[in-house]
Amino acid sequence: MKKLWCGLVVASLLIGAISAYAQKVGEPAPEFQATDSNGQTHRLSEYRGKFVVLEWHNNGCPYTRKHYESGNMQRLQKEWIARGVIWFTVISSAPGQQGYVTAQQENDYLKQMNGSPTAALLDPQGDVGRLYSAKTTPHMFIINPAGVLIYDGAIDSKATTDQADIATATNYVSQALGEAMAGKPVTTPTSRPYGCSVKYAH
Amino acid sequence: MFDRSVICLIRFFFVGAAWLVLPTLASAESPADQHVKVELISEQDAIVPHREIWLGIRFDLQDGWHTYWVNPGDSGEPPRIEWQLPEGFQAGAILWPYPERLSTPPFMDFGYEHQVLLIAAVQPSAALKEGVSQSFAARVHYLVCRDVCIPGQKQLELTLPVKRESRAVAGSDDQLFEVTRRRLPKPAPASWKIMAASVSDDFVLNLIIGKVAGVPQFFPLEEEQLENAAPQTATRIPGGYRLHLKKSSHLLKPLSRLKGVLVVGGGKAYALDVPVSQPSTDAHRQSMKN
Repeated sequence: MKKLWCGLVVASLLIGAISAYAQKVGEPAPEFQATDSNGQTHRLSEYRGKFVVLEWHNNGCPYTRKHYESGNMQRLQKEWIARGVIWFTVISSAPGQQGYVTAQQENDYLKQMNGSPTAALLDPQGDVGRLYSAKTTPHMFIINPAGVLIYDGAIDSKATTDQADIATATNYVSQALGEAMAGKPVTTPTSRPYGCSVKYAH
Repeated sequence: MFDRSVICLIRFFFVGAAWLVLPTLASAESPADQHVKVELISEQDAIVPHREIWLGIRFDLQDGWHTYWVNPGDSGEPPRIEWQLPEGFQAGAILWPYPERLSTPPFMDFGYEHQVLLIAAVQPSAALKEGVSQSFAARVHYLVCRDVCIPGQKQLELTLPVKRESRAVAGSDDQLFEVTRRRLPKPAPASWKIMAASVSDDFVLNLIIGKVAGVPQFFPLEEEQLENAAPQTATRIPGGYRLHLKKSSHLLKPLSRLKGVLVVGGGKAYALDVPVSQPSTDAHRQSMKN
């Protein structure tokens, strides 16, 4: 019975993963469940009523490093969490691949970098990543209080590894959150996520 | 108070040291250098007044590594070239040879392995006279990837004499320019008829192009229009082929034109820019499906 149940769970995850249109802006964001680096389990549906940001992360990727070593990502996390946003950093690197971390390594990293997401979700099987078709690190998603996906794309408008570009780029995440909180339509609901490919298990 | 000033001093020292060291680092070996050699080359051995000259940035990539086309696909970034030319000289646009599909499931990137030359025509200054050498420079920003990605930056330089006549440079570089030109997308032949239609989750391209050497493959020039990793199914239809291209889930509005490069085998590629007809009637949909 246990085996059958497991099989069903795996099968349902696979179905979620291979459906090309699992996530689309304007439609309900797919439900997921994941464990964070402190062992706590989170379900997306628990956060209905709040804005939720998903940030795909790989600490070895030069594009991720651009936004962490400059302090840009940490600033965004602080700013938006202070305004009631739930911010999940999601790590979908498979064991042995760049960016894979244990819970302890992730907690050490967050401490060292002054990272302060609501939680860092560990997704070494890539289930949440595939469910959202997360392509790059970083790749950003925003879900509104009604559970609808309102942004899917890049962190900002300058697809480079150069920290100097952050100041002159349009930050699509801040723009979308600001507009949505003000009850306005999101100017840029999708963009090409730029960065390293997510290092899924092969 | 004392502590603060010590911290201040230490900070000052480190920041100051970084400034001193950085310019040296910029020209020294960078981690990307182990995987790619980047050079500025010329097709001709001299500049001739009033005659354009072709320059190129050549990337020689280690096996297993790649760099990117102008639309890099699902990840990565195309090389960026900032020319620093003598006064009065003007560089044309970078011309991109057609790329390869680089698959790392579930992703698809578009780029180059082994070797690629990115070329541009440079117009000399009208005031240019024979006798004085001219120095060209280019700052190139690029990304090379295998399973991991490494960004690189290079300041490249080249000095050429100004002469009444020029010849092809010695070695294989001049041939490389010719090989590269053959890989540049050409205008579609006038006899071709190409139609694009939006049909539910796909764009359907009807290519009335006769028979070609290989299975036609389409590379979108603009990002976020197609699901890059989706297989492009080509079927034979009278007079040519039909290609099904899966729309990107990021495409929220109807697309008015589809721009890209059609690679047809035998090393040939053509630039396409076709209007996309939108599904208006069932009859239309039916005709595109048959």
